[in-house]
Amino acid sequence: MDNLNDLKAIWQTANTTDLPKSAEMLRLVKKFRNQRLLKKILMIVLAILLLAVMVFVMFIYRSAMLTTRIGEVLFIITCIILVVTNSRSLKRFIDLKDCSNKEFIEFLEQTRRNQVYFYTRTQFIALCFCSLGLVLYPYEFVHIKLTWFIGTYTFVLLYLGVIWLIVRPRVFKKEARKLNETLERLEKISNQIK
Amino acid sequence: MDFEEIYSLYSPQIFRVCMGYINDREQAKDLTQETFISVWKNLSTFRNQSKISTWIFRIATNNCLRALERAKRVMITELPFHLPDEPHEETQEEKLTFLYNCIAELEETERIIISLVLEDLPQAEIAAIVGLTTVNTRVKIHRIKEKLAIKFKYHGQFE
Repeated sequence: MDNLNDLKAIWQTANTTDLPKSAEMLRLVKKFRNQRLLKKILMIVLAILLLAVMVFVMFIYRSAMLTTRIGEVLFIITCIILVVTNSRSLKRFIDLKDCSNKEFIEFLEQTRRNQVYFYTRTQFIALCFCSLGLVLYPYEFVHIKLTWFIGTYTFVLLYLGVIWLIVRPRVFKKEARKLNETLERLEKISNQIK
Repeated sequence: MDFEEIYSLYSPQIFRVCMGYINDREQAKDLTQETFISVWKNLSTFRNQSKISTWIFRIATNNCLRALERAKRVMITELPFHLPDEPHEETQEEKLTFLYNCIAELEETERIIISLVLEDLPQAEIAAIVGLTTVNTRVKIHRIKEKLAIKFKYHGQFE
């Protein structure tokens, strides 16, 4: 009972009657929006919006102090980094059309490697620019009054402390573990197709 | 061929292949649905560079491979019966569960290849789906069959 034709006969007995009917599936797929890429698209749109606002502010409000100008430029650089990184990543997914399992595993491996690079390098650099911008930008508006200055900078430094010392290390550790596990599995599968 | 025709024709096959890979009915149904969402989205850009069946099976098996990022490991379902002292005639369902369990013990790409073999796809098409040469695919199929034969003989379920 263990030859291939017997196995094929058993294989065909799988119950497929409870699969959605074609009309129902059509309704389902039409409702579907690409959830996987939605986060990237949202990030790009938000970064472009912020970029536009910063450029607009730069031209409308002529700041007197250099710290404000530097802050604005740092915010703009951060936005550009986010737009470029996410657009590149989005393009890779859009370009991926008809590919074999081997090519797909290579694509996933590359994607995960890119993510590791993003977390260790790109995100770090973007966060540095953004943090420095956040410190420099409000100076012009709050330096006149000591209470404003202390209030604003206490809030900014607390916020940056939480991001740099609590949020980022935690997220990084979790993501790094997940990515490394995935990369190991992908490598294992990749070796099976060699 | 429009979407509804494609779905009616291929959904049972895709479901069985996903089931062979993941060995979980609900997850296999989800993977089948994801496959046809991709098919629907990309049908207009499909350029007939490969056969439509190759294209659809590629999407399905790539979805299966991607599922490894979500699922920890493939389930090996308990057989729905206790082995009796006296041999009895196994039901079709028991035989199928046993087959799925044997496949679940194989490596990821082996699970894909054997599922496609059981769907009666030609070796050249399986090679195009997986991304191996035809010769390599033939060798792999031979090895997988041997592995399955050992499992079946060891369990002595269907003799």
